Amino acid sequence: MAEQTDSPDPSGFDIELLLKQARTYLAFGEQLQPLSERFHETLGQDGDWGEALRQHFDQLKAALAEAADDPGGHADLARLWTVTLDTWRQTAASLGVPATLAPLAGVNAKAWQAYQSVQGQYLDLLRQAARDALDLMEQRLGERAAAGATVESLRELYNLWVECNEETYGRMLRGPDYGALNGRLLNALLGCHARGDTPA
Amino acid sequence: MIGPTPAQITEELRRFQARLAEGARTLHGLGPIETGVLSRDPVYQEDKLILYRYQPRVAEPHPVPLLIVYALVNRPYMMDLQEDRSLIRGLLDAGLDVYLIDWGYPDAGDRHLSLADYILRYIGHCVDHLRERHDQDSINLLGVCQGGALSLCFAALHSGKIRNLVTMVTPVDFHTPDNVLTHLIRHVDVDLLVDTLGNLPGQLLNFTFLSLSPFRLAGQKYVDLVDILDDVQALKNFLRMEKWIFDSPDQAGEAFRQFAKDFFQQNKLVKGEVVIGGQRVDLRNVTMPVLNVYASQDHLVPPAASKALAGCCGSRDYSELSFKGGHIGIYVSGRAQREVPPAIAAWLLAR
Repeated sequence: MAEQTDSPDPSGFDIELLLKQARTYLAFGEQLQPLSERFHETLGQDGDWGEALRQHFDQLKAALAEAADDPGGHADLARLWTVTLDTWRQTAASLGVPATLAPLAGVNAKAWQAYQSVQGQYLDLLRQAARDALDLMEQRLGERAAAGATVESLRELYNLWVECNEETYGRMLRGPDYGALNGRLLNALLGCHARGDTPA
Repeated sequence: MIGPTPAQITEELRRFQARLAEGARTLHGLGPIETGVLSRDPVYQEDKLILYRYQPRVAEPHPVPLLIVYALVNRPYMMDLQEDRSLIRGLLDAGLDVYLIDWGYPDAGDRHLSLADYILRYIGHCVDHLRERHDQDSINLLGVCQGGALSLCFAALHSGKIRNLVTMVTPVDFHTPDNVLTHLIRHVDVDLLVDTLGNLPGQLLNFTFLSLSPFRLAGQKYVDLVDILDDVQALKNFLRMEKWIFDSPDQAGEAFRQFAKDFFQQNKLVKGEVVIGGQRVDLRNVTMPVLNVYASQDHLVPPAASKALAGCCGSRDYSELSFKGGHIGIYVSGRAQREVPPAIAAWLLAR
């Protein structure tokens, strides 16, 4: 008595999930290529690798922040920062509250503004965790270099990036601010929903 | 040090894209993904609930049936995911007569179902059906995760009907410091949630679970998937699990309201303050033999949340089984197949 579904199946597997993350991985590769270039140049010129690493990560943080501020500009890169927010917005949309900053046409603008404000705070917290993850990754790469260990592939760099993000995100998630904010975010969204003032 | 040169990174990205393009074709041609492989027959039905009996795999199964009560969250085919990942197969092979409650998919008409409906009516009717069918005063009960908490409530209220109780990855103390789900739900206005939405949408639960580890579960997992796109068997295994993860039924509103408030927010189960259908649930009335199975690396139900049962149940024959793995691995990992069903069966058959 097997339960069956055709594949790909929207209720089971959405191939877009795979394609989205593949594009994000490619964007990650594009961002990391200059680091590799800089490293090999520095190596050839007997330069300061630590300084080169620092400069690259500063640029990386700036590029990601820019992408996150304007996801329309480079959505695949922005997703490196905002994977949680993306999922949240999809969830909110499924509950009838679309991810739009459109001005309200309804009368209950207060609830909508309150939701936007909490969502902004939520995004700030995610950004901080993502920045911390880049600092941690820079630190880990520096430690590896000091120990003479080599990162062998782009995938290894990506896995290190995931590991650093999970670590800083996990700390944020378990902290008191996130628990309270998570509750406020859902409550604020429900506030919009309940008052029937979500934009069409 | 960074080993790969820019040219090597370009080549790595090119190979990744090529594998992705080839794999997407494999993915489209896979055909149906099956879950739940063992033969089973419906033996009782009430509203959306179906009670299944799995076809015994020994000539004379044990006379006392085993009823599995799965969580309301997610679907119970996780217990019989595929040929070589089936906890139920292991229990059948050991000679047990296994039944499972499939709760179905609640819809708007189920919004007012309460925990009393689930525990006293649904579980109660299934237990009575099996007692009668097998001519037994009491049966064996195995509760999984949230289903374990529901089973504990039933066992406390009807201890005479349960011969042995097995709880698997079951939260009892919801306020251990490492309980991240409680941390997330603590500030949610549950009344507003249920009053606004009626039933709790499965997608909201999915978000909660994904948000616990988003970079792995919503990112890295799919990048790694590209590595196995040319392996049909591995791909099918991945898709089975993927199907299960996203197959999240909505939760009946009133039952969710009580579970979220009384269990998660106010931790009433361990305090003996849960009230079901007007009756207080006192875990000291769980006097039958109890086997408490938990996963030592469980991030959803931390071991301490499960092990709290030792200090509050009334059984004089209480044992624990610690499985080295996580909340999902305890059902589907290779080691789980070798260790968990034989241990549960041996414990039951000795009683």
